Amino acid sequence: MIATLRYEFLMQIRRPIMWIVYGLTYITLVAVFWPAYRTLSFTDDGGHDPKLAMLTSAKLIMVLLPIVYGCLIADRLIRDRRLGVATIMDASPADPFGRLTGKYLGVCAATAVPIALAFFGRAVVYAMTEGKVEALAWSVAVFPTAVLPGLAFLGALALAGPLLMPPLPFRVLFVAYWFWGNLIPADMMPTLSHTIFAASNEYVAYGLFGQTFEGLAYGPWPDAALNALRPVASPAVAVLWMGVMVALTIAILLITRLHAARSES
Amino acid sequence: MRIQISQLTKTYKGGVHALKGIDLDVPTGMYGLLGSNGAGKTTLMRTLAGLLRPTSGTVRLGGHDITTQDGRLAVQRALGYLPQDLGVYPDLTARRFLDYIALLKGIDGRSDRRRRIGELLEVVALGEHADRRLKGYSGGMLRRVGIAQALLNNPRLLIVDEPTTGLDPEERIRFRTLLSHLAGDRTVLLSTHIVEDVAQTCQSLAVLARGRLVFQGHVGELVARAYRQVWTVTTSGTAPSTGRIVAALPHGAGMRYRVVAPVPPAPAAEPAEPTLEDGYLALMEAAPPA
Repeated sequence: MIATLRYEFLMQIRRPIMWIVYGLTYITLVAVFWPAYRTLSFTDDGGHDPKLAMLTSAKLIMVLLPIVYGCLIADRLIRDRRLGVATIMDASPADPFGRLTGKYLGVCAATAVPIALAFFGRAVVYAMTEGKVEALAWSVAVFPTAVLPGLAFLGALALAGPLLMPPLPFRVLFVAYWFWGNLIPADMMPTLSHTIFAASNEYVAYGLFGQTFEGLAYGPWPDAALNALRPVASPAVAVLWMGVMVALTIAILLITRLHAARSES
Repeated sequence: MRIQISQLTKTYKGGVHALKGIDLDVPTGMYGLLGSNGAGKTTLMRTLAGLLRPTSGTVRLGGHDITTQDGRLAVQRALGYLPQDLGVYPDLTARRFLDYIALLKGIDGRSDRRRRIGELLEVVALGEHADRRLKGYSGGMLRRVGIAQALLNNPRLLIVDEPTTGLDPEERIRFRTLLSHLAGDRTVLLSTHIVEDVAQTCQSLAVLARGRLVFQGHVGELVARAYRQVWTVTTSGTAPSTGRIVAALPHGAGMRYRVVAPVPPAPAAEPAEPTLEDGYLALMEAAPPA
């Protein structure tokens, strides 16, 4: 597992296309959300609280960058077969599930590096310009709780999805899924958006870090379908959301391994 | 590592019978596996490498039953496999690629790995190119990287599937010589449809046709199959209509044909010394239909 993790990380992090696409998307993100990205607040005064600023920063990077993240991961699993490398790897004594896990961790870690750089880089800039060093501590708390669980799930989904269809249509569907399942208002149409199955980070922001939603408790939306999946935010629900993301990740990886084992015979 | 195969069958989903009741015993040393495209060679190789599960039958390699998980793992620890469709990561250098495969093969010590990779790069004459990215390698060089990765764990069983396909004559000869040197106390199973490769490297071989084993024995025995069945016919008229034409060379105003046939294909036909290729063709002519 460690060998695969190491080399998959190395190969992914060196892809020039990854840095180019992330760079362009980041510029688009900043342009679209200016001045909120400058103040790290959607209101005039929120940016002065470093915790809320880091939550806002996490929310902003989770608008567009996960699309790039998923699309860049989408070809990683199937390329071993496409390149013809899979045969010699399958003939090695290395445990297949270990290799899959290593590939997942290595690819996802490398693909998450630009997101982490964007987030922590912004935290450093915020801490320096606002003179609030505690923002760095909040950033260290926010990233693993509000960003990583969603990325973990999205990475597994993007890695395994192209086993069912070619990468190009998968990427189109992935973008559609991202908007439908994570960004649109819950009352627009039946959607997973704002549920505990959404990969975006509202439940951690509102449940774990006490952010308020227009002064109200975050949870069910008036007149929205699937409200059963939108419990009122609390620390326990935030932890539940993290657990759901991890459980979905493990389930996808297990199904992927089973799929591979069946196709071996 | 001795290979013992008994009543091996492999039927793919969709009902394609790739192997039909194969019985084969492969001793230590260089062993050839001949057969036309679609004969079942690659299926047999992949089964021996633990990549495919047999539909029925038993396969034991060095005493390990590859139909069990433990047996398969034990075999894969002692296996070097060069597949027909070898692929590499184009952005890795040869050294890094080999390092990755070495780790997968369980060579965990860094210094051991470095030393082994360095040795093998010299064996396959790629030492000078070791730190170049693989996307710049020729087909022959990639084949040599392939054999290097197969040898990383100093395997007792080396399976090479169509290793010389697509190589230029010089590379082919170099590759064949390399394989012969590697045999020693290993079992090297060379699968190919190029008869010349087997003729130049193996003393024993098996022949597959349409999923069945139609021959196993010494090279000389297969050559003997064509004894008194090889003819040369020189004619300025039409080509002989009986038998299988092996070669046709311009000869003065006419042509000289080399023909494999059980009876003289023309009144003026002269007997010729058979080769392995003639023996193979005679065998194929006599092989029962599927």
